[in-house]
Amino acid sequence: MARVAKEMVEKAGVNVNQLVELLVKNASAELTTFYYYTILRVNLIGLEGEGIKEIAEVARIEDRNHFEALVPRIYELGGKLPDCMKEFHDISACPPANLPKDPKDIKGILKVLVEAERCAVRGYTQICNMTAGKDHRTYDLALAILNEEIEHESWFSEFLGEGPSGHFMRRGETSPFVSKFLK
Amino acid sequence: MIKLTKSELSHYNGTDNNPGYIAYNGKIYNITDSFLWKKGKHQVLHTAGEDLTEALKEAPHGEDLLDRVPVIGELIE
Ligand code: HEM
Ligand SMILES: [Fe+2]
Ligand SMILES: [Fe+2]
Repeated sequence: MARVAKEMVEKAGVNVNQLVELLVKNASAELTTFYYYTILRVNLIGLEGEGIKEIAEVARIEDRNHFEALVPRIYELGGKLPDCMKEFHDISACPPANLPKDPKDIKGILKVLVEAERCAVRGYTQICNMTAGKDHRTYDLALAILNEEIEHESWFSEFLGEGPSGHFMRRGETSPFVSKFLK
Repeated sequence: MIKLTKSELSHYNGTDNNPGYIAYNGKIYNITDSFLWKKGKHQVLHTAGEDLTEALKEAPHGEDLLDRVPVIGELIE
């Protein structure tokens, strides 16, 4: 544990126990989403699916990166990951991103993807709100993740016909915002 | 449809095998089966068995998400 780092956050008036619990729940959402997106991505095939496969893959890899980036902060603040992975799955801040009953239902898959991203956008907005001006490092991390979640949401929402996202597919490395936490 | 007072509602907090109910804007919602309300806790910060009308104002979502859980009654004085 980073004793003084934690003390600074407490002193700023943040409830560190609540914050750590939220970070663990969001770390679970990332790792479980990484898993569920693997299944969604392999089913994004055919004339409709193929075009979406690449952004689903980028969103999948970036969610794994989000998990990796969250873990050190959880331990710095005195938290830990549950010993049992089943338990970890069940405390996720977002519901399971299950494959639709009809795996050929590409629009159905897109809806699952966009809902998962929207849940993440909400979760990191909450963490930013709780830490802004108080816990600078967690804020920086949550904001970096939020930047990527908003891009994920906009990619999928555009494919669902909700209007132009104004974004372009990633060029080059994944996680342009979160990568500094992965070095 | 059931009618509960605030103090009756507090019994339905989702722990010890009690069902979990929440109140919002006079309506009572059953969140027992929601993945996001396990053991009556929502996103660490909120607890079932309470009137959460004020709390939703600070939440990162609106009342539209309440449509995802069933309405089962109303909150009375
Ligand atoms: C800081 C406060 C809160 C946070 C961080 C939060 C966060 C969330 C998130 C991330 C979701 C999933 C959204 C999605 O899938 O896009 C959700 C769903 C939901 N929230 Fe909240 N929320 C908060 C407060 C509240 C309050 C006060 C209420 C009740 C009045 C509430 C009721 C619900 C309901 C009913 C759902 C849907 C559950 C389901 O799909 O089974 N939330 N919330
Ligand atoms: Fe993510
Ligand atoms: Fe994402």
